[in-house]
Order: sequence, then structure tokens, then C-alpha cells
Amino acid sequence: MARFGARFYSARVPAIEMASVSRVFRSRQGAFRRRISEVEALRDVSFSVEPGELFGLLGPNGAGKTTSIKILTTLLLPTSGSVRVLGFDPVREPNEIRSRVGYVFGRDRGLYDRLSALDNLRYFADVYRVPARRKAARIAELLELVGLTGRVETYSRGMRQRLHIARGLLHDPPVLFLDEPTIGLDPVGARELRETVAALRDSGKTILLTTHYMFEADELCGRVAVINKGRIVAEGTPASLKARVLDTTVIEVVAFNVSDAALDTVRGLDGVESLAVKAEDQTQVLSVQSSRGAALIQPLLGALADAQVTSVTAREPTLEDAYVQLVSEA
Amino acid sequence: MIRAFRSGLKVDLLLLLRSPFDMVGMLVWPIVFASIAYLLLGSANGERVLFTASLGAAVIIMWGWVILGAGFALDTQREMGTLELIVGAPTPLVVLISPVMIARAAFGIYGLVVTLAWGRLVFGIPFLINDWAAFSVAAVGCVLAIGTLGLIAASTFILYRAAFYLGISLQYPVYIASGLILPFAILPGWLRPISWLLAPTWGFRALGKAAAGQTPWPDIGMCFALSVIYLLIAIPCLAFFERLARDRATLKLA
Repeated sequence: MARFGARFYSARVPAIEMASVSRVFRSRQGAFRRRISEVEALRDVSFSVEPGELFGLLGPNGAGKTTSIKILTTLLLPTSGSVRVLGFDPVREPNEIRSRVGYVFGRDRGLYDRLSALDNLRYFADVYRVPARRKAARIAELLELVGLTGRVETYSRGMRQRLHIARGLLHDPPVLFLDEPTIGLDPVGARELRETVAALRDSGKTILLTTHYMFEADELCGRVAVINKGRIVAEGTPASLKARVLDTTVIEVVAFNVSDAALDTVRGLDGVESLAVKAEDQTQVLSVQSSRGAALIQPLLGALADAQVTSVTAREPTLEDAYVQLVSEA
Repeated sequence: MIRAFRSGLKVDLLLLLRSPFDMVGMLVWPIVFASIAYLLLGSANGERVLFTASLGAAVIIMWGWVILGAGFALDTQREMGTLELIVGAPTPLVVLISPVMIARAAFGIYGLVVTLAWGRLVFGIPFLINDWAAFSVAAVGCVLAIGTLGLIAASTFILYRAAFYLGISLQYPVYIASGLILPFAILPGWLRPISWLLAPTWGFRALGKAAAGQTPWPDIGMCFALSVIYLLIAIPCLAFFERLARDRATLKLA
């Protein structure tokens, strides 16, 4: 209990818990005839994260990942449902949670651009109540870790991201929320950041990580939940999610000029479980999950007769394929 | 909390000093307001009247910087994504927002100096301050009272995305009701009780009386008393609007 300073903390109580949480965003439009439109960002979302666990929340844009994190970090109120972080209720006891969690954005925002990394950290150290006697040493330690000087406005995205992490760690919180921390980073920067996250996990911190990148979740997370259109559509270890699609084969087709009609034909082929299309430069990469294995290749090429196919490969499914299937089903 | 306040003050001043837009406004604004006041009244009114007008111009600048500057500062924080971080911090919001108000109001002292210096250099109006000590205390009281009045307005800025425009709408009504633009004598009687509730009214009176050698202490006392009252109103207001902002998801721009 002393370690986390949390109410009711014990190994059996989850560090993070959401139970049947819904969140509706309402917006008003029109000056005279007010119209209220509603968007249901979270629908009956439930998951829990054990102390010391690195849990991944995966989902496409607008799935509800950031909304979930904002509710857990006290920045948003849920419309209904129950939420607990280290045993505290973010709605009624936000201050208890705020000193015990760190929140790291994955984008350019969240820093004072006209200040230096040192000035940013000094300010947030005071705001996040780092004890005066530890402040200088903690900032020096983190600055050495991120190695940043000069004004933030001159930083690259990778440098900003490192500073975000340093800011989130200033008060040494037992629980960390990382919202797409590697988004927009170059491969080397992303790898370094994953190593930092892995080190934090190994040091015993509870981490909730949201990401688009399946290999990242596969590499780092003990368990993941897939969220789509505000609903949790699957939850388990990366291996258990992959097992869902083990009986399928992924056929990857690289082609030019694939029409929407051809894509619809592919979707309708017997044995097609899901189809994902990625545009890369001039080409389109089609990932087709099939329960018919390589037998689907011929009908697939028939459906793409009007396109220029440059390569076709069949491979074992990955976590990304499991994710694509889950999101497509939803 | 004191560290967070001090740190907030430093950050706001640094952000202000490193913004060319803010700096140009700060350099030009006092000169423009002082010039308008001197030119409108003309030399026929005598030095004392012109000097008092320059004090009014300085208080106008003080309130303008607080209400517009604070709205702009909070809009900028929302745009930078730092508003969410300070709302989500364990330090009470009042401690993190009040430095913004106090820093802006404190710049009003600089505005006061520029206004008086401009009057002296360009219009030949001498510094007619009889009691420098009382005048200095009055200036501090004025800064505090105007800063804390701004804090009440800032509580709504936390909720609304267009804080700067809200600030504009609060600027002139306060100038008029405080007797800074028009003399009280020509204002309708029902406006008088409203003016008593506004810090700039008492700040202006305190500065004017200290400069004229009259006793400013009741007015200075009102400035400090109003600061406490405003603070006591601002704390629950900030908590209320923070909760509303969390409910309506307005801490972020998009």
C-alpha cells in the first residue's frame, strides 16, 4: 500500500478499472434554432489493468482510446459507469489520482514552446508537487535521460516526445498513461522510446499504452484490448488474439489501379474473412485474410483482373491481422 | 503551492517577454491610451486634471491587460495543450491560474510608469505625486484587486473556447462602470452600486488621492478587501467551471 499510496491497494485490486463506462459528447449548433448532436464515444467499456502490468489499448482513429485515457486521468467525466484508478474515483476524488498518475501525449502539443526543456521541467515539477529537496536532482536526471537543450520550438517531434516522457515521469507516478507515444517518430526514435517504455514496465510501473502499431503492442504489452467505435471488441494476451486468426492465411497483393468495385468483389469472395487496403506511394497493398488458404489466390486475381498486380504472397497471420479482422467484424 | 505560484508567475512572464505580439502591444498600448487622454482633455484643464487622466489611462491598461491578456493566455494554453495538463495537475487550479492574472496586472505598473513618463516627456505634465509611499501601496493594492477580479472572469475562460472574445466583452463595461472613461457625475445612478463592486473604481481613487496628497487609505483598504472577496468567489467558481469543462470536454480545442 505504501508504495503506491493508493486506497485499498493490494495485489488483488486492479490499478486501473473501467466498468460499463459510456461517454456521450454533445455539441450545440445554430444561433436561434439550437440543434444538439450526440456522439457516443464510449459504449459500455470495461477492462482492468493489474499493478505492474503494461496494458495496450488498440484501435483505429476515433475508436475511443484517448477518451478512455482522459476519463482515467480526470480530464473528462464519464456519462455513466464506474472508474477506479488505484482505488480512487476520478469523478469524486480527482486530486487523489492527479498526484499519482502521469499522462504523456503522443503529439506536438502539451509543452511550452517558448521555454527551454529545463524551464518546462522546472515548472511542471512545481505544478506536480515534486518535493523541493528532490526537484533539482530529478530534473537533472531526466534531462540527462532526454539530453535536450534550447527552446522547445526548435525541437523535432522526437525531441518533443522525449520531453513529454520526462515531464510525465517528473513526479515518479506509479501509473502512467501513454497516448500513442511513438506516433510520427522515425524508426530509430520509436525504437528508443519503446526501450524506455519497456524499462519503465520492468521497473514496476503500471502502464496503459494506446497505439496504432500492432508490433509495438506485441513487443511491449502483457495484455491488450481492441477498441472500435467505442466498444471493446476483444481482450487478451497478444498470443491469444493471434490465435483467433491462426486458422487463416494472409494473402498480400501489391497492385496498381485497384478500383472500389474490385475491392467490393474481393470482399464478397467466398472464404474472405477481412480485407485491409494500404496506399503506399503509387501502389495499393491489399491484405486479405482467408480461411481457404492459398486456394483463394486464383479467384482473388480474377477479381483484380482490371488492376496491375505486381506481387502476391501468402503468409502466417500476425497480431496486426488479428486486429484488422476484429475491427472489420465490428 | 507557493512554489507553484512563483513558478507560474515566472513562466507567464517569460512567455510574455518572448512573444513579439504581446511585447509590441505592451510597448504601444500605454502610449496610445495616455495620448488619447491628454489630447481629449487638452491643456486648458490644468496639470492636475491631466495627471489624474493619465492615472485613469494606467488603470484602463491594467484591466485591459488582465482581461484580454488572461483570455489570450488561456486560449494559448488550450491551443498548446497545456491547459489540460494544468487542470489535470494535483495543485489547485486557482494557484495555477492566478499567476497569469497577477503577472498581467503587474505589467500595469509598467503601464503606469510609461503613461506618466510619456505625459512628462511629450505633454510636459509633471509628476504630481505628493505621497510616494501611499502611491506605491495604492499601486500594489490596485494590481492585486484587478488581478483577482480577473480571476473570477478566468473561471469562465476555463469552460469557453473563445476566452479572448469573452475578455473583449468584459473590457469596456468595466471601464465605464468604474468611471475610467466617463466621470461618475454623468453616469446613471443605478450604475453606482455596480462601480462599488469593481476593483478599478477603488484602485483609481486610491492612486488619485495618494497623488493629490489626500488620505487614500480607505480606498486602498477597499482594494485589499475586494481582493480577498474576489479570491473567495473565484475559488469555488474555478472548481465549478473546471467540472463543467470536464463534463463538456472543452479543455481541448478540437
